[in-house]
Amino acid sequence: MKRLIRLYVNGEPHEVLVPVYRTLLDVLREELGLTGTKKGCDVGDCGACTILLNGEPVNACLVLAVEADGTQVDTIEGLAQVGEEGVRLHPLQESFLRLGAAQCGFCTPGMIMAARALLAENPSPSEEAVRFAIAGNICRCTGYTKIVQAILYAANREVM
Amino acid sequence: MSRGFSTIGVGHPRIDAIEKVTGKARYAADFSLPGMLYGKIKRSPHAHARVLSIDAEKALALEGVKAVLTPWDVPRVLHTGAPAPRLGSLRADQLVLTDVARFVGDGVAAVAATTEEIAEAALDLIEVQYEILPAVFTVEEARRPGAPLIHGTEGNLVMPPIIVQAGDVEAGFAEADLVLEATYHTGRPSHCYMEPNACLCYFDESGTLTIWASTQCAFMVRGILSEVLGLPLHKVRVVVKHMGGGFGAKQDLYQHEFVCALLARRTGRPVKMVYSRKEVFMATKTRHPVSITLKQGVKRDGTITARQALYVSNTGGYASHGPGITAVGTIDMTSLYRCNENWRLEGRSVYTNAPIAGAFRGYGAVQSFFALDVQMDELAEMVGMNPLDFRLKNAVGEGDPSPSGHRLRADALAACLRRGAEEVRWHERWQPPEVKTGRVRWGLGIGTEMHSSGAYPDIKEQSNAILKMNEDGTVQLLTGAADLGTGAHTVLAQIAAEELGMPLANIRVVSGDTDMVPFDIGAYASRTTYVAGSAVQRAAAELRQRLLALAGEKLGCEATTLEIRDGEIRRQGQVLLSVAELVRGEGGRPAVALMAQATYEAKVAYSFAAHFAEVEVDTETGMVRVTKVVAVHEIGKAINPLGVEGQIEGGIQQGIGHSLTEDLVLDPETGAPLNAGFVDYKMPLAPDMPEIRVIILEEAPDPDSPFGAKGVGEDPIMAIGPAIANAVYNATGVRFRELPITPDKLLARLREQGETDTA
Repeated sequence: MKRLIRLYVNGEPHEVLVPVYRTLLDVLREELGLTGTKKGCDVGDCGACTILLNGEPVNACLVLAVEADGTQVDTIEGLAQVGEEGVRLHPLQESFLRLGAAQCGFCTPGMIMAARALLAENPSPSEEAVRFAIAGNICRCTGYTKIVQAILYAANREVM
Repeated sequence: MSRGFSTIGVGHPRIDAIEKVTGKARYAADFSLPGMLYGKIKRSPHAHARVLSIDAEKALALEGVKAVLTPWDVPRVLHTGAPAPRLGSLRADQLVLTDVARFVGDGVAAVAATTEEIAEAALDLIEVQYEILPAVFTVEEARRPGAPLIHGTEGNLVMPPIIVQAGDVEAGFAEADLVLEATYHTGRPSHCYMEPNACLCYFDESGTLTIWASTQCAFMVRGILSEVLGLPLHKVRVVVKHMGGGFGAKQDLYQHEFVCALLARRTGRPVKMVYSRKEVFMATKTRHPVSITLKQGVKRDGTITARQALYVSNTGGYASHGPGITAVGTIDMTSLYRCNENWRLEGRSVYTNAPIAGAFRGYGAVQSFFALDVQMDELAEMVGMNPLDFRLKNAVGEGDPSPSGHRLRADALAACLRRGAEEVRWHERWQPPEVKTGRVRWGLGIGTEMHSSGAYPDIKEQSNAILKMNEDGTVQLLTGAADLGTGAHTVLAQIAAEELGMPLANIRVVSGDTDMVPFDIGAYASRTTYVAGSAVQRAAAELRQRLLALAGEKLGCEATTLEIRDGEIRRQGQVLLSVAELVRGEGGRPAVALMAQATYEAKVAYSFAAHFAEVEVDTETGMVRVTKVVAVHEIGKAINPLGVEGQIEGGIQQGIGHSLTEDLVLDPETGAPLNAGFVDYKMPLAPDMPEIRVIILEEAPDPDSPFGAKGVGEDPIMAIGPAIANAVYNATGVRFRELPITPDKLLARLREQGETDTA
């Protein structure tokens, strides 16, 4: 059984006919071609598929697409501004890039989206608050050191 | 002659970071093709069972199912899982789909369907009749007389034991004042790279297979697929774009790579296969659980007189890298600390029906150095020496033998120990465990390691590079070396830019397509900077010579009087013309094609490290918290310090996990993994990580490497384990000869020692 749903993804409306059992993650990746959101476990453990649903960070693998009908979905692809002068990175993207916070890069989109949700709520977080905010996002490459530094840097705080 | 570097030695953001932070980086599972099918593997629920029959009728009747493959539908070519051409230690013991399951999760059938959900549903409809065979999961069970023979080899040994000996061990022990013999055990950690194994296959009209894969060794994937599928090499194209980690496990081929190609051939359509996280845990690789019985003699003055060891690895259902890690783990016990060159070391690798163990960062030496460095602490105490001084007395240095057979060139290990000791104020802060009291106790411990840059002489190391000059002064660098997330491509571009005298921005790395780039054996053993980097440096030097010759011709002067800096041809500091002006075409003629190619056959260089771990042990809960790690690494020259720090910080994270929480636990009855998911497996998360102070030493640059650089990828995971175990001892007086050190074990040991209220 399929249902027609409407998603506002990175500000753009999309109408998609989806099987009722399909997750939002699979719809983003397979139907809309937005493969920046990663599937690391598909059971809500790793945070690689973190997106913003009406501004709240969620694991897209734990949301059925039909549940997201009518919502605003923000993914990593919508973060940078593309204009006449080219691509302008979001401060988090800029700091992740410059401070070496992306190694293999597989956790990076989810990590940046989780950090974005944190900074929207708490523009000046402590290091502890940063570590807590990304506790649901697993990285296996970095030891989190440079990720935490990058988030603090983007929040205009002094780096450790 | 001596001039400042322009591109190397300073931290550079990765050249591919822009793709990663914008979500544009494409990993194997991100590729799709029109008409694509989805493949899935039917896995055995039994650890050891013969497949009697497979009935696929119901599965094939399901709408959307396009093909089912059984062991009898696929080429029955025994192949190795571990593709590197190692000296004599490979065992071809795997089939594409097996009719004898040898671990829980061994693939016995496969299906392709129009959606992933249909493919999954079809798996349940494939009916497999098994004859269940007796299974063994531990080395002890597998070695017992009458144990089931997993591959028909005597005593379930993967290969004849590896014997490494020198000097006279008996005389050495006779000379000793004290002798200690103990057995050390390591656990079964999983790699847990974030990107699950995935591939996409299709055959074009000419019968050429293209496979988008996530592999550290694209050319080895090409070689083994060619062998098993019966295709010539020019009709197999392996493409690797971005990789989401590998840590050694993606040096092997898995069943999906073969099955996916065969399903694509059978259906005439592209097929994609992506492992679930559970499949990654159960059916890819783990580190080898190893037991090491280590005996050393020591004189009262702290001189170690002899070393004897038996290293036994549990390789699980298939050999994979069992022979390789066992050889490395055994021979590496000749290193790190001197023992008057008296040693007798034996290595065995044993088949069991446990999940397959394979290559994993640190490759066999993680286990050896754990045993060695914990025993160093024990010996220090026996002879009444401070653990730091005892290590400094015995640390290998210039002129000492190394596992490769070469003599070491510097006292780099001692330098790491001294620098770390200074940083943690060892002599001020270290106190013996007897004085520690209270509920939460602080401890400080040391671990050390050394690692070769590359796997020479076990592997005849070789890499290639091609540099192509464009007519506007930019350069394409073609390399077969994979970047599994390490930043290797950035380092290679930096080396090319430095050697050419060009800005980094003028270099573009082309990689990951076996149709385009020259052969590379793969990314492993901390070899890429050293081996692939040397090939790049040589190709760049060749191209620079050709540019200078061309400039000499054009300017009417001797090429030897010219140099290239910042993309400009200069003589005695004066800019004469830019490289772009030099190479562009003239008079309507296209530019002369300028290319350079180089091959590098590496020997060996060693990197060293000493880690100092500080822990707090809660004696009521048994929890160990690592509060700070000082990691001193001697790596010759850091081409990209930002990348080096990232490697070290990440390796320490994995090592903390392996030391304290991570272990893939098997059901003792069935052999099925009990914690095949991130929640139950438990890796360190952001709040669990301590402060890490990375100190890079460049004391012993290698004369044969690019700008003196040596490897760093493997190193950080090796020293942290013993550092933590020794710190736990320092805090509590409880000596752990096993990993991981979990709260239940620590509490039990504290109780034995009468250290808790409940005692």
